[in-house]
Amino acid sequence: MYGKDILRLSRRKLLASAGAALAAGPLATTLHVPKSWAQPKVLRIAAGEADGASGTMDPAQSTADPDAARISLVFERLVVLDDSFAPVPQLAKSWESNDTGDEWTFKLQEGVKFHDGEPFTARHVVHSFKRLLDPATASPGASSMAVIDPSAITALDDYTVRFKLKSPTVEFPALIANRFTYIVREGQPESEMRTAGIGTGPFKVKSFVPGEDVSVFVKNEDYWRPGLPKVDVVELRAIPEESARIAAIQSGQIDLCWDLGRAGIEELKKNRDVKVVSTRAPFVLTLSCWTDTPPFDDVRVRQAMKYVVDREQMLQLVLRGYGNIGDDNPVAPWVQYALQAEVRPRDVEKAKALLAEAGYPDGIDIELYTSETTPGFIEMATLYQAMASEAGIRVKLNKAPANDYWSAVWLKQPFVCSSWSGRGADEALATPYMSTSDWNETHWKRPEFDAYITEARATLDVAKRTELYQKAQQLLRDDGGAIISVFPDALGASRSNVSGWKLHPQQSTKDFSEVSIG
Amino acid sequence: MSKLVLTRLGMALLSLLAVSAIIFWCVELLPGDAAERILGRNATPESLALLREKLNLNLSAGERYFDWLRSLLSGDFGVSLVADRPVLDYISGRIANTALLSGFALLLYIPISIALGIITAIYRGKFADHAISVIVLIFMCLPEFVIGILLISIFAIKLAWLPPLALIGQANSFGELLRLIALPTITIVAAMSAYAVRMMRESLIEVLESSYVLMARLKGLPTWRVLLFHALPNALGPAINITALNVAWMIGGVVVVESVFEFPGIGRLMVDSISHKDVPVILAISMVMTGAYIATNLIADVLVILLNPKLR
Repeated sequence: MYGKDILRLSRRKLLASAGAALAAGPLATTLHVPKSWAQPKVLRIAAGEADGASGTMDPAQSTADPDAARISLVFERLVVLDDSFAPVPQLAKSWESNDTGDEWTFKLQEGVKFHDGEPFTARHVVHSFKRLLDPATASPGASSMAVIDPSAITALDDYTVRFKLKSPTVEFPALIANRFTYIVREGQPESEMRTAGIGTGPFKVKSFVPGEDVSVFVKNEDYWRPGLPKVDVVELRAIPEESARIAAIQSGQIDLCWDLGRAGIEELKKNRDVKVVSTRAPFVLTLSCWTDTPPFDDVRVRQAMKYVVDREQMLQLVLRGYGNIGDDNPVAPWVQYALQAEVRPRDVEKAKALLAEAGYPDGIDIELYTSETTPGFIEMATLYQAMASEAGIRVKLNKAPANDYWSAVWLKQPFVCSSWSGRGADEALATPYMSTSDWNETHWKRPEFDAYITEARATLDVAKRTELYQKAQQLLRDDGGAIISVFPDALGASRSNVSGWKLHPQQSTKDFSEVSIG
Repeated sequence: MSKLVLTRLGMALLSLLAVSAIIFWCVELLPGDAAERILGRNATPESLALLREKLNLNLSAGERYFDWLRSLLSGDFGVSLVADRPVLDYISGRIANTALLSGFALLLYIPISIALGIITAIYRGKFADHAISVIVLIFMCLPEFVIGILLISIFAIKLAWLPPLALIGQANSFGELLRLIALPTITIVAAMSAYAVRMMRESLIEVLESSYVLMARLKGLPTWRVLLFHALPNALGPAINITALNVAWMIGGVVVVESVFEFPGIGRLMVDSISHKDVPVILAISMVMTGAYIATNLIADVLVILLNPKLR
């Protein structure tokens, strides 16, 4: 039985390669992209997160990084974010709100078509948001956009959409520039959404089967932005092993990849055929403790835990300098509304004094969960253990398996390593730290903090709004349970014949429309 | 002999049933369920509940197992919970790929280990014997992923002769396919030839010292004739058994090699399915692996009987 399979397979491959001689028509289709005759420009890209059987291209169900890549190729959003997380138009031409910030009107681009020729109009926008918020869709993105009233999304005419919100949200355009809000085509059956989505984006899906290695996309010849995209075919695969990804780009088996670690970049910098790409990103690496659980329930303990960190050393040893220093504030200093403060210096004596004051003169024993699930966790936890021991904070490390870290450890253990992809100020503050959040990883519940955020969202005056967001950050920095010492850069690499590629600090945004090769 | 084959086939069916129950039970013991694994950190209580409903995860473990067994009896392997496609369609391509890789490995492995076995036996105690033995033993001791990474760094990165990853979807011709799977094939062969070479050497030495080989020499037959027609067939038996065991090892051990080289085979699919708790796929793959294991052992037994006139 075994031998027979081998025979059948090798014969099949032989037939396919030999061409038409033995009526190999249907077999030949198993091999894609005949490079020899048409010379289409093929861009082979590789994501760093595993793309297993759970892969999808339905924007409402986007979870993994390869999902985000597929969706970015095929779909577009009303609004996208620039490098500082300020909203800029994509399918929307412009927008305005009423005086209270709870009614938003978007003017849409005209002359845009879906991949099947259907004109892009307001009804597709209405459908996309209603679908996303419908409980039957069960989108993980719905809760973050709960402020939208699904019954009050209306098409005023073909190119104008109005959203009525349940509460004022000045940052609404940025709020809908996330990984879930891509515009899908109304009328496409739900059964096709996972594998054959129709969007307005620069590429059309040619083949995507969950669990198979390569997803293939072809150029959308009728794309609305002139001259784009610049390649004919995009082949997306996932190579989760970093060393394998590096070997593949060094040898030219792939043209472009991202999610590289710090060590890998050093290796690639030596190779003349490879270009290294990096972007400053407000990606948050944090050590998070439950502020309602002893010994973390005393603010002096939490401050002591923050004072032991040598942030510069964290940057150098965990990130090899590829990143920026953090100050226990998830809003990086260059992001809009960021609090500009003197970074907390390392002060072991002060940490000891704070611990003694809190009733722990002999120090504390705590257990920290870490994992390989996010690059840098292990290094950060190990280094923290060493730094904290000098102040009598004895950290026991517990390394948990990577594949179910987020379902079995995170939100389930009182002191864990965690990470948050780059977000704008409002989202970075609200998603993990508002009392009402599903993902309140520090159990930190402060009515003042919630009030600052809610008030900022309703404040049209920029200066006053900035002040409110900054007060929230100050409170979180001094009182919260997150030790945020560094923001790692986003790192990637391409072959030297690839140009026009930039990594976006919002991790789920992957724009390949301007990338060219050769 | 047909009786032997029939009893063994009956036993095989029983083993498959037992394996399926054990595997199902083991997977049940793993924490979490497919819904949690799919949604990962984005899970909210509502989306989890909906997905569990959709995947029938609310049924008890026993119900789910017997449902699976019942549909298996009607030839239906079920639908992957995670990929949402028929299991058979999902795994058949991967099985073919792994069979291709294993096939090439065997094709190289059998002649190489027989040849090396003969050389070490003929030159026993001399330099060639020691050198070959040491090299194959070193390869045996190294884990496959070390050999794999070593080969990648030498032949793909330093010398740039071969592609580092076995991304066989990139092959446009049979020649390219061979280049892509060269490194994993060599890795497998390197990792497993030691046993067969050693076994071949021992049994050949024994046979070469037997009286009928002496007889053949005394008749004045040339050495190559003595080796190939008199000694070798009698020395092959143990080597065939070892090969069968190796093939069985390969079915499982190929997992590591597939991961190192990103080869789209059954091993990587198994790992992926376990991490997603995709029970129908895990069960189907274990059935295939167990079946292949049983089949190779059966074939080996039959071959040994055929080679030995005394047992025929």
